[in-house]
Amino acid sequence: MQDNKLISIEQAAALVDDGASVGLGGWIFNSQPMALVRALVRRGAKDLALVPSPGSMAPDLLIGAGCVRHTFCVFISFEQHGLAPHFRRAAESGAVEVTDLDGPGFAGGLRASMGDLPWIPIPDLATDLPRHAPRQYRPLPAVPGERRLIATMAIRPDVCFLHAQQADELGNVQFLGSPFFDVMLAQASRRVVVSVDRIVSKETIRRANHLTKLPSALVDAVVHVPFGAHPTASHGLYEADDAQLRGYVRASAKTEDFAGWVERYVQAPASQAEYLDRVGGAAIGALATG
Amino acid sequence: MSDNPPPPTTAELLAVLLARDLADGEKAIIGTNSDIQVAACNLARATHAPRLWWVSGPGGMVNPVQERLLPTAGYANIAPAEAWLDLPDMIDFIDWKVHFFDFAILSVLQVDRHGNINTAVVGPQQRPRLRGPGAVGISALCGLSRRFYVVAQRHDRHTFVPRVDFICGAGFLDGGRSREDAGLPPGGPRLVVSPLGVFDFEPASKSMRVRSLHPGVELRQVEENTGFEVLCDGPPPVTPMPSREELSVLRQKVDRDGVLRHAQR
Repeated sequence: MQDNKLISIEQAAALVDDGASVGLGGWIFNSQPMALVRALVRRGAKDLALVPSPGSMAPDLLIGAGCVRHTFCVFISFEQHGLAPHFRRAAESGAVEVTDLDGPGFAGGLRASMGDLPWIPIPDLATDLPRHAPRQYRPLPAVPGERRLIATMAIRPDVCFLHAQQADELGNVQFLGSPFFDVMLAQASRRVVVSVDRIVSKETIRRANHLTKLPSALVDAVVHVPFGAHPTASHGLYEADDAQLRGYVRASAKTEDFAGWVERYVQAPASQAEYLDRVGGAAIGALATG
Repeated sequence: MSDNPPPPTTAELLAVLLARDLADGEKAIIGTNSDIQVAACNLARATHAPRLWWVSGPGGMVNPVQERLLPTAGYANIAPAEAWLDLPDMIDFIDWKVHFFDFAILSVLQVDRHGNINTAVVGPQQRPRLRGPGAVGISALCGLSRRFYVVAQRHDRHTFVPRVDFICGAGFLDGGRSREDAGLPPGGPRLVVSPLGVFDFEPASKSMRVRSLHPGVELRQVEENTGFEVLCDGPPPVTPMPSREELSVLRQKVDRDGVLRHAQR
């Protein structure tokens, strides 16, 4: 195993080929791998197939920037700030193909992949999901006296992008808060790239080893990006930036405003530090949870 | 305390109506953006149901003791929780197990005559007129919990439709025995709460029925704003409004920051 798994954010973006399937971790306004997503937009990635955990800006920005051909949708929303603007527009125009997935379809699909199984049985919940996604949900023969089951096919992203709070150079990744679906997504994916807010020593990792939910054997690369989940939250370090999220939704209403937003926050900043300068020190400082 | 408290907003009213129906010792799950759901459960815990148990679906925090309404997946809910679970450990009892949860409370884009609910799309799935957030755990919660509640924050013909465009969560499907015939365990929608009233389901046909109308609401108003014929057994009773006690606990012990007071749309 490689000793040092630290790579640059550009190297991380280069790991994703055009047309690849990309898992996105976190949960709505928590731990979306936003710095990695911005790097993917700067690389000009095309025709991606997204496998997002319930999310907000990570899938929406990739869709808005024209990087996506297909996305699974378990849940994509800006919650109190409204519907996900670009996901909504692209789904309604047909520009991006959407496959709806429910929780069992997603969790079961990841579990199948984690165990190298072709599919996993889930309860038949009498919804419309299987009818609209016949490649994801398959009927299973009914057995008299047993529960009715269907199969959800294995979901195996080519690469997944996750965000966590800290790691060492060996790739032991620690979560100071909820890991959501990230550990399952990592086990289900072919390659795992994790951005972390800080790199800590091997000794620090060992002192609180119960926080290591992604051991180095499950991690291919680590990218050091302070505030790498911004404008979403990173548990224990900073809250979500509501003003920035609202600004994104507002800018997304008009094509030219959105182009300006992408230029200002995605294309122009040469580094994460420049990105944070553009957001503003006072705004960033106010998010700290210590 | 001498003056009358301000009347409840719609969000406060819905939270109180739901809280009244929750029993002590029951188990529930709450999703991400769920101020009304959290308020209902915490109000019930602060009044008649102190042993009601709820878990944040995404974040795994159990019974966080808060006097403010916070996003359920947020970090601030970890410290005041009595347990903190990882999602991969929870999905067996969320997505597979029958009747682990006594109830779930679900918001909707559309609800229909038989209580099926939709949060995915209005119109065809491939070229929808409105693309909504998606199904998440709704399929499992409607299918596998002992009962569920529907929160409709608007009552109009876009929301109350004859048949939802996409069944994300099964209610009583086509009514009658069709839910059992589909192999689902006993359950289904118990109440629908809206800005106009409280609705339940007639036991044989499993069709939506008026249970009470909020003060000042007339049956005609419900009929005009519902996309199907809603059943009504005689003159509908008036919904008992939140008591002074209920409002005071809600505003001082559950929602100190007034999130539900400012949620009026």
